Formats: sequence, C-alpha cells, structure tokens
Amino acid sequence: MQLSPIPATEVERLAALRRYELLDTLPEQVYDDLTQLAAYVCRAPMALVSLVDSSRVWFKSCSSSLPAPEVDRASAFCAHAVFNGDLLVVPNTTLDERFADSPLVTGALGIRFYAGAPLITHDGHALGTLCVIDSRPRKLDRKQAEMLRALSRQVMSQIELRLHIHDSQRVERLKNEFVSVVSHELRTPLTSIRGSLGLLEGGVLGEVPPPMARLLEIARTNTDRLIRLINDILDLEKIEAGKLELHVQPIDPEDLATIAITEIQGVAHQAQVRLTCRADPSWSRSRPHLLGDFDRLLQVLINLLSNAIKVSPPGEAVEIRIGTPDGGRIRLSVCDRGPGIAERDLRRIFDKFHQIDSSDSRSRGGTGLGLAICKAIVEQHGGTIGLETAEGLGSTFWCELPLSGI
Amino acid sequence: MSVRKILLVDDEADIRLVAEISLSNLGGWQVIQAASGPEAVELASRERPDLILLDVMMPGMDGPATLERLRAQEDGHATPVIFMTAKVQKTEVDRLLGLGVRGLIPKPFDPMTLPDDIRRILGA
Repeated sequence: MQLSPIPATEVERLAALRRYELLDTLPEQVYDDLTQLAAYVCRAPMALVSLVDSSRVWFKSCSSSLPAPEVDRASAFCAHAVFNGDLLVVPNTTLDERFADSPLVTGALGIRFYAGAPLITHDGHALGTLCVIDSRPRKLDRKQAEMLRALSRQVMSQIELRLHIHDSQRVERLKNEFVSVVSHELRTPLTSIRGSLGLLEGGVLGEVPPPMARLLEIARTNTDRLIRLINDILDLEKIEAGKLELHVQPIDPEDLATIAITEIQGVAHQAQVRLTCRADPSWSRSRPHLLGDFDRLLQVLINLLSNAIKVSPPGEAVEIRIGTPDGGRIRLSVCDRGPGIAERDLRRIFDKFHQIDSSDSRSRGGTGLGLAICKAIVEQHGGTIGLETAEGLGSTFWCELPLSGI
Repeated sequence: MSVRKILLVDDEADIRLVAEISLSNLGGWQVIQAASGPEAVELASRERPDLILLDVMMPGMDGPATLERLRAQEDGHATPVIFMTAKVQKTEVDRLLGLGVRGLIPKPFDPMTLPDDIRRILGA
C-alpha cells in the first residue's frame, strides 16, 4: 500500500476546507439526494460524499447506511483522488499496488472497486470527493464517468451555496445589531444635549437675553432635526430590510384624516395655515374602509401634511381629500396652494435625501427622508403614491390604498 | 395621586442633571438620584419615593432587572415606575410596557414637557 500523497498546496487546501464549516456537521437531505443519484447512475451499492481532512477522511453523506463516520487518511482512496485532481477510477483494488494492502480492501468493508470525482472549489482546491464503491471489481462506462463528474460539481455547488447563505445571515445579523446599537448610542448623548438646550432656551435657570436666545434656538432646533434624522434612518432601514411589520386592519379614512389633523394642528396654527378635510361623493356614498396599518398610514399622512404646511403661505389652507376614483381603491390626497414643484425636481421627489430648494427646506427641519419613507410604507401596503403639481399653483400628493371589503 | 418625591435612575450623570432640573424647577418635585440598579434598590427602600423614573439600558443590572428587585422588596405596595429609554423599536417598547410599568418616556425627551408627560402618564 502506498501512503496517500499530500498535495503541494495542502495548507491552503485545508484552509479552504475549514472555510466551509462542513466537517462534523449533521447529514443533510440535499447531499443524501446526490449520493443516492450517484449510486443509481453508476449502479453501485454505495456512494459517499467525503471530505479529506489533515489525517482523516470524514463522510458528509452516504447513499445507504454509513459503515463508519470517518476513516484514516493514509490508506484512503479519496485522499488519492484529491491529490489526483480528476476522477480516480480503481477497477480492481486487489490488483492496484497503491491499495491492495489497505484495510479498506483487506478488512470487513472489502472494497474491490472505487471511482471518486474530486470536489473542487472555485479557487481550485480539492476538498474531498463524490465517490462510488463496490465489493466486486468492475468499471464505469464513459457516460457514468461523465455523470459522476457532473454530480460532483452539483455537490460542490451545494457546498458553496451553503457558505453563501451562512455568510449572508451573519452579515444580516451584524447589520441589525449595528443599526440598533448605533441608534441607541446616538440617542444617549443627544438626550443630554437636547435636555440642556431645552432648559436654557426655556429660561428655567434664568432669563436669556435675545441674542443668546436666538443661538440657543438654533442649537435646539438642529438637535431636534438630528433626532428626527436618526428616527427616519432607522425607519427606512427597517423598511428596506423588509423588516417592517404591518399590523393590518380595516380603517375608516375619515378617522385617519381627523386624527392626523389633530396631531398636526399645533404646527398648522403656528404657520397660520388652515386644515380641512373633504370627502368626495364617490367615497361618501358607501364610505368604504381601507386596509392597512393605522400607525404607519398616520405617519404617512402627517408627513404629507407637514410638508404641505411648510410650503403654504400664511392664511392659506391645506386640504385632505378622500375619494374612491375608480371604485377599486381609496385615494387620500393632501393638497396645498404653495409654489408647486418644478418639472426638473419631479423625477427624484421620492428619492432619499433629495430636497427641493435645499436651503429653504433644511431651515424648516426636513430630513430629506420623509417622502422616501412614505413611498416605502404605501408600497408595502400594495398601494401607489404620486404627485400632481403646477408651478405657482400648488401640489397634490396622493396615495391609493386597497379597499378592505367592509 | 400626589407625587412629592421622585427617584431618578440613570447611569449617565449628564442626563440625571438635566432631568433633575426639569423635574424640580418645572415639576416642583423633590428628586433623589441613583446611578445604578443596585443603588436604586437601596435608595427606594430608604427614601420611599412616590414615583421611580427608571432608565432601561444600564450596565450590570438593567431597567427590567432593577424593576424585578424593586418589586421583590416592596411586599404589596407597588411604587409607580416609568421607564425611560432610547430604544424605540416597537417590539422593544411593547415588551417593556408589558412588564407592568405605568408608561414609557422615550429619549431624547423634551425637558420643558417632561413634568407634564409624567402627569399625563400617571393620570391615565
């Protein structure tokens, strides 16, 4: 018996093997399917997926019951196949001086025939084999040899896929932890900053002279903006990762509108903007409900109202309209009589961080993510969001949402 | 219910200072400070506050663990507890509210409205 030779790149080969984290794992259906196929195609009593470790050959899969979970590398056929780099066929083990004395031949297993196709990684390392064995000497015909090679490529493909999935899951976990930790870490110092500024600005520790008060106001409002930005980023990240859970229920759009108006009333009052709500006859005829997540749709409506108020001149009105234009969906619109939106800005209006007339919008505390979040929420409801606008006349942001059947 | 004395628990000294100014100057309450869960448990038994404002994320004994110890030493009389937290994920918030506290104040909070927010939570 010849001891199995060690490939020149053995160190790298073993590193490659470790990378797949496959050694000593439980059997998996997908590999068992492939060994069953191999045994059938080659008309052999047994097929195995083997991995050649530093001093042992370990079996991931066996088409029938495993004789042993691993064997010594020194006397193993698979070790030779790995060194070979291509299909190794031993038609009669007793006539082959490499194997005639091997325990696998002389012992209880009594292997007389072996054919093993190495499992080769994308970077050229042989991890182990897909092999078939028999207790009598025989050959593989050309087609069987071809099929064994093809199946070995399938096994390798599964191994690569498994690694890819594990890596993706690991990255996903890290990202989630990161976002959550970062968000918390940012909020903690912001609490102290926001708190200090709020107290100073509020004159709690003494009167603040006007020039100082103005600076404090600037610091405080920008801190508020930073806080909103962190909230928006967290929101958007959740939405984009598909982690946004919608708690769907039938919703009366008039309820939604009323509550949204109540929430934003203070801001509207300060801006001297009137808020109204109007129901189209198309809707008020039967007053159908829409299907959605109340909190999230409220978020969308408040966002749109907030934008509308920001662009409205004092004394103007912002209107929410409820309608069912085509009978199949409910359309909620927020209409303002602000300056309207220029043609060139229309295309990117729902993009992240795109702000019209940047200087003005930023001074009013926009984060640039509001519309992107609205769009994501509406689309996750299976709805659509859009905009009609005319420069100098105003804009209408609308969203169409599914009916609830109530 | 009338609140005279508040036990404020947070591991961040800056946040404790800001909250204390808000609670005493604007709220008119007496404020005792604790910088950790164990300190809170000890001060609660000694000072018998009417309300405990409890930070959630603290090293060692966190908010929920501190709450458990506070309840264990109270035998019957449950001092109202309000959590303060920078964690804003809905699942987290729901979990915290399910621990039997009166309410939750998100961080960053507005120091000018903090006393009113507390009164609102207690009044509910």
